[in-house]
Amino acid sequence: MTKAEELGVNRMVFLGDLVGYNADPVAVIERIAALVDAKKAIAILGNHDEAIFKDRSNQMNASANAAIEWTKTQLNESHVEFLKNLPLIVNEEKICFVHASAHNPADWNYITDSMSAWRCVQNSGKSYTFVGHAHEQALFYQSAVGKLIRFAPHPGDEIPVLQHRQWVSVVGSLGQPRDGNPEACFAVFEPESETLTFYREPYDHFSAADKVRRAGLPEDLANRLITGK
Amino acid sequence: MPINTDIEAVDDIFQEGKVVDGFVLGKEVHRGGMASLFTATKEGIDVPILLKIPRVGRDQPVESLIGFETELTILRSLKSPYVPQFLGAGNMATRPYIAMERIEGRPLEDFIKEGKVFTIDEVVKIGADLAQAVQSLHSQDAIHLDIKPENILIDDKGKLTLIDFGLSHHARYPDLLAEEMRKGVGSAPYISPEQVTGIRSDSRSDIYSIGVIMYELLTGELPFGNPQTMSGLRRRMWAEPFPPRAIRREIPRWLQEVVLRCLEPRAANRYQSAARLRQVLRDPEGITLTERSDRLEPPSFWQNLKGMFKAAGYEPSPSPRPSMGNYDAPLMIAAIDTRQSDEDLRERMQLTAKNLLLAYPESRLVCLSTISSTPTFEGNQENETASGIVRGHLVQLMEWAKPLKLPPERISYHVLEAMDPASRIVEFAKDNDASLILIGASHKLPNKVTPWRTSMTKIVEEAPCSVHIVRT
Repeated sequence: MTKAEELGVNRMVFLGDLVGYNADPVAVIERIAALVDAKKAIAILGNHDEAIFKDRSNQMNASANAAIEWTKTQLNESHVEFLKNLPLIVNEEKICFVHASAHNPADWNYITDSMSAWRCVQNSGKSYTFVGHAHEQALFYQSAVGKLIRFAPHPGDEIPVLQHRQWVSVVGSLGQPRDGNPEACFAVFEPESETLTFYREPYDHFSAADKVRRAGLPEDLANRLITGK
Repeated sequence: MPINTDIEAVDDIFQEGKVVDGFVLGKEVHRGGMASLFTATKEGIDVPILLKIPRVGRDQPVESLIGFETELTILRSLKSPYVPQFLGAGNMATRPYIAMERIEGRPLEDFIKEGKVFTIDEVVKIGADLAQAVQSLHSQDAIHLDIKPENILIDDKGKLTLIDFGLSHHARYPDLLAEEMRKGVGSAPYISPEQVTGIRSDSRSDIYSIGVIMYELLTGELPFGNPQTMSGLRRRMWAEPFPPRAIRREIPRWLQEVVLRCLEPRAANRYQSAARLRQVLRDPEGITLTERSDRLEPPSFWQNLKGMFKAAGYEPSPSPRPSMGNYDAPLMIAAIDTRQSDEDLRERMQLTAKNLLLAYPESRLVCLSTISSTPTFEGNQENETASGIVRGHLVQLMEWAKPLKLPPERISYHVLEAMDPASRIVEFAKDNDASLILIGASHKLPNKVTPWRTSMTKIVEEAPCSVHIVRT
């Protein structure tokens, strides 16, 4: 967030899975809720958030379920209420924000290829769709043949994303990257100049992992923070 | 086509005397199929300005817009003395234009049309300058892909500028023309065989085009004509061009060698960088002459037939063979012993890794270190905890790899927990389809350290891939 402020970001969007991996669910919810109240941010519902108040245990792996159970013990009613009130999808004039995909958002489909990205834009109908869920940064863009093509963005490069074309940005995750680089992922979109920049930002992932271990959460969740896998 | 091209009244906005974003429009100097060009002035900009406005509208092909967008993206990112300076752009949806430096100079095409006969020295100079200009693009991750005499401006002093980036490719930006397989992307006489098959990411395509231009300037002819059909375009994949020296005897053998090498159907047989091409043109002494330089006769029927068989492997395939992916983009593992302190070995290993990574531009390096199992209880000191131990190793791995200066997408770091390091490394190599394991063997290690020796032997015996043992 410090980095985002340095970059002059004036509005933040948290694309879901606020809880369910980390050892500080209360702090995360309270901090984001404050930003949302102050109209400085919006937050979207992710599948791990939903699992707090809905039984999704048959759709998640053992570690994730253990983390959900542990998280439940940490949260009070108002925290859960906050999660329950998170929107599944937010549509603005040119932008759609959704955790997984605009195509049946409640099914938590991953956007990993051309076809899933295409389904997503078909349903959002917007120039820009921003998603989380899949942990690896990617930008799907509409090519000359109309098809959506995957592009692996290079962190820090400002990419022109002109609005007459459709784009799906998988911004990656702040705390759980899967590409072998433990740095946090996020992206900054500037509607005025129609540019998008993906970022990787180092943070103290060792103490984050330590906290996960200390909280008694599954070992692999902590290891992931360190190895980025 | 789902792309919205509903841009109205572009012709009303862009007229002589009107002002757009502070640019005062001057004369329309050119009106082509894809774009119109206006001179312009703007306060605070003291170079001559050119405004490029795409021809958009319902009757216009959508490619002109994609080309425009591509040029905007790439020109904006380039900094080169051989490319017009980017000065601004308008909103794509309402008033699309690109403002750039207006270059004094005439297209090389004009000189050719006038029938100018180029001396050998002039061709060598143009070739070397072109190579230098192209190198400045390649070094910024951009490939021009439409190098032709029309797109090369030459001023009074002979200085050369590359224009028109509507078909270019930039590795750092989404390629809007990717998978666009309509024939004739690029200009038929000048595009490389791989471009004919739809490949847009090979920088050596530009080297091919420079070869065609040098051939044309030397002989007055195009090596493969100006084909209008797909089979005509494909001829360059197998046919040998008529030797330039058979047309113009005064061409030195070394220059024929250089031109024909640029025109090799397979990119791997050409000069591998524009910098290298420039170097050989500047200093021909170092050129090794091959049979290319001897050719004086047009290729025989049998030679052509042989070429055609070779070209059979050139079939453009809709998707690359997965097995080739690993060959072109190998995963290499550097097994690093963070405990040992042999500085010489460390440097040697870094150098070896660097060279291997250079040889395969698509390759990736995994820096690997193993530790015996981490404590399951929490220590008091940070460096006693499991995460503290792993962290310590990761930091050392990152430190180790720092001099390689690899972008994050080409490198990753892993600390593996294992009682038997050798088995764990082998297993990791298997799981990740690695192509190579790099290990260092220090002479400074006392011979009696048998566990280490056994480890090394085990990796060599059991590895699913090559093992490169680095010695000082």
